[in-house]
Amino acid sequence: MRPSLAILFLLHCLAVAGPAQTARQEKTIDLPAGVSVELGTISHGGNVVAAICSDRAVRVWSVHSGELLRTIEGGKEPVAVQFSNNERLLAVAYEIVVNEKGVVKIFDIDSWKAQHDFADEAPVYGLAFSADGRHLAGAGFFDSYVWDLPARKKAATLSPPFGGSASVAFSTDGAWVATADGDTYVRVYDASTGALHSSIQGTLLEPMTVAFSPDGKTLLAGGVDKTIRVIEAASGKISRTIPKQPGLVSSLDISPDGKHAIVVYRSAERFNDVNHLALWDLEKGTILADFQKPGITIAGNGTFVGDHYLFAVASANQLTLWFLP
Amino acid sequence: MLNRRDILQKCAALGTVLIASQASSEAMLAAFQDHEKQIRKPTPRNPLGPFYKRLAPVNDILRAPGDPGIPLTLSGQVFDTRGDIVTDATIEIWQTNHQGYYDVDGYRYRGKRQVDKSGAYTFESVIPGHYPDKSRVCQHIHYLVQAPGHKAFVTQLYFATDPVFEGDPVKNYARDPLIHTPELIRPVMLTGDPNEVHAKVRWELCLERL
Repeated sequence: MRPSLAILFLLHCLAVAGPAQTARQEKTIDLPAGVSVELGTISHGGNVVAAICSDRAVRVWSVHSGELLRTIEGGKEPVAVQFSNNERLLAVAYEIVVNEKGVVKIFDIDSWKAQHDFADEAPVYGLAFSADGRHLAGAGFFDSYVWDLPARKKAATLSPPFGGSASVAFSTDGAWVATADGDTYVRVYDASTGALHSSIQGTLLEPMTVAFSPDGKTLLAGGVDKTIRVIEAASGKISRTIPKQPGLVSSLDISPDGKHAIVVYRSAERFNDVNHLALWDLEKGTILADFQKPGITIAGNGTFVGDHYLFAVASANQLTLWFLP
Repeated sequence: MLNRRDILQKCAALGTVLIASQASSEAMLAAFQDHEKQIRKPTPRNPLGPFYKRLAPVNDILRAPGDPGIPLTLSGQVFDTRGDIVTDATIEIWQTNHQGYYDVDGYRYRGKRQVDKSGAYTFESVIPGHYPDKSRVCQHIHYLVQAPGHKAFVTQLYFATDPVFEGDPVKNYARDPLIHTPELIRPVMLTGDPNEVHAKVRWELCLERL
């Protein structure tokens, strides 16, 4: 076969073998000169997007118009952002200085006033609201915390034997909080008391992310071992493992019907490369759609909007919003 | 804060009351406080990092013959905050190879061992490389230190010879955002001729009692 024909044949094979669906770019947001996005999050309803920018500001935009709604500036470096499910609150965790206190502020996104300011705990870098917005959890290098927002106090301290937690997630009813822990366990706690419900061991390498299914019956965990574990939340039993993930499993979002999951991957060789996500059919264990783009960074969690998954991508001086059908 | 009654009860529980019973309560209090005094500071903790792997083999020779990179001997002793030697500590370490890659499929450059009767440990390894993604993370070795009756801790050892510090780790330690104290940066003694350099690093570790 001549080289040109061989190339055409290879391209044809790749096109046939590749996933049928690909993402489409929806909106581009230009950032101020010299500023880039380091981490972002899209609200549960898909209406607002927040991003930690390289100039230490947190910027919030309307997803629909791309209009800049707010720039939150402060002396400390923000490290995590998360919206409450009702899109009324934005939590920002500031500056990780190991062995020093951390700061978490919670802003009302109408007035942009800080409603809560938890400054008496160790730093956290992963945030999750309970579905009713009454609790906030933060995953930290050593301990993780649950705060009771109406009571304005810490409700629980979650302390694995060593190694801290990479991710934290609430069950939909807010009764349980799960952590992906550095000592390779997934742990489930009573969210209001911090009492340990179950410790789930299943891999030799650590989980980096956990997510509850919308019905609260299932917990997904994924991490450095490039698998996704499906765990029965009540018993802590691993019911299934979905192997052969194409990278380190960095984050998971489960669709509202519980049938699909978006998996965001980190490169095993270049840990800071986060440019690949895939839509999985959880029942069949197959990839339905796939997005990978060199030179960009998938900027934190997206959200399911109807049948689509909306996610943000950071590149140089822009934040772009993409839909995965 | 313990009050005098608590201290007396604790002395009794420790079996010191027979010795102390002939002394005044003030002398007893002073003796107890002396004993409780922190002679050593606990080793500063540092994050675990994302590549810890459970069930590492009992092995303190992590460098295989012919491995590229600068050979490294890590050694030290384990104490508690009172300055007593801890003779039953287990030290587990893991690190990248000389090019900055972790072995996640196997257990290269991962191992653990118990300290000897003098609380001493030694590992033979190589100086780890920087991560290949040019992140701000300095060369480092992860430590997990555990002993019965003590609070387990995770930390990381960094190298004073790391070019990131430009020869002044006390001034430049914060260039790596995870290094919050220069105590984690250890001096490196280089021996041998220029073609066969061997690095030696000592790190005394200190556990807190439960």
